[in-house]
Amino acid sequence: MGKILKLAFILAVFCIISAGSLAFIYMFTQPKIDLNRKIAYDLSVKEVLPQPGKAVSVSPRGYSGPINMIVGVDKSGKVVGIKILNQTETPGLGADVVKPKFLNQFIGKTGKDPIEPKKDIDTITGATISSRAVCKGVKEALEKAKGLPAGRQD
Amino acid sequence: MIGLCPVLAVSNNATNALGMSAAVAFVLICSNWVVAMIRKITPDEIRIPIFIIVISTFVTISDYVMQAFTPELHHALGVFVPLIVVNCIILGRAEAFAYRNPVLNSILDGVGMSLGFALALVSIGVIREALGAGSVFGITLFNPAVAATIMILPPGAFITIGILMAFLNKMENKVQ
Repeated sequence: MGKILKLAFILAVFCIISAGSLAFIYMFTQPKIDLNRKIAYDLSVKEVLPQPGKAVSVSPRGYSGPINMIVGVDKSGKVVGIKILNQTETPGLGADVVKPKFLNQFIGKTGKDPIEPKKDIDTITGATISSRAVCKGVKEALEKAKGLPAGRQD
Repeated sequence: MIGLCPVLAVSNNATNALGMSAAVAFVLICSNWVVAMIRKITPDEIRIPIFIIVISTFVTISDYVMQAFTPELHHALGVFVPLIVVNCIILGRAEAFAYRNPVLNSILDGVGMSLGFALALVSIGVIREALGAGSVFGITLFNPAVAATIMILPPGAFITIGILMAFLNKMENKVQ
């Protein structure tokens, strides 16, 4: 019994040292990481909103995690740009939602369109859930854009 | 050879291969150093969990540093950075060498292994990028339109490794 306690204690000490070092490194790197994210985000906003309108970011739940995306909606409520910022879908299947071939389908869509797989959107073979999630995200973005003042919205 | 598993996905161009090699080198050298340092106070029964703690700490450190200072590389390597933890080269060297040898020898072992790994990975990366995208380290060699795209896709990794292995075996046989 004493042996097991001693082993557990040693393991715990190592864990604490490890956690401590990581917290230390985190303190130094996190500000830079946040800055990088902001820069990337600002660039994305410019990308999806070439004209005045609203940039809405949404994070629908995909197959294996949230799909962070940003949708540019012009003043008339039409999608003018869409970009996936972050996703952890399956490479080669769900991850293909980032490809223009899939995303370009959403350009021009409005709140009046169904934006549904099998109706007006072609899903990616073998990536039904991921494709569906992006559809959900676009619909949500269009909804949000309705009730927001002009400019970027998070 | 088995240690090359996760790297098949990051060897599709020479720059990613070099980046991955740098991350692996950092983790390998640092873990070998720490494991050798603590080898006398590490109980035999829990040495593997302790190796894992040490290795994953260094992997996380390199993950954060890459995210902060080389975001494009980090984006390119993606999920394969955390997977460095289970790269058997690192755990294997900790168990087979660093646990039983003094600090300096273990550090040098880490350096040697890293160089070998980098050589293998960057060779694969250069070949795949050159044949599959017409460039090396981003510098265009010829028109990408005539490149064999399959080389930068997963099958290209296996093809390249197969041919390199065959070549190396042939060389070894000649020497013997």
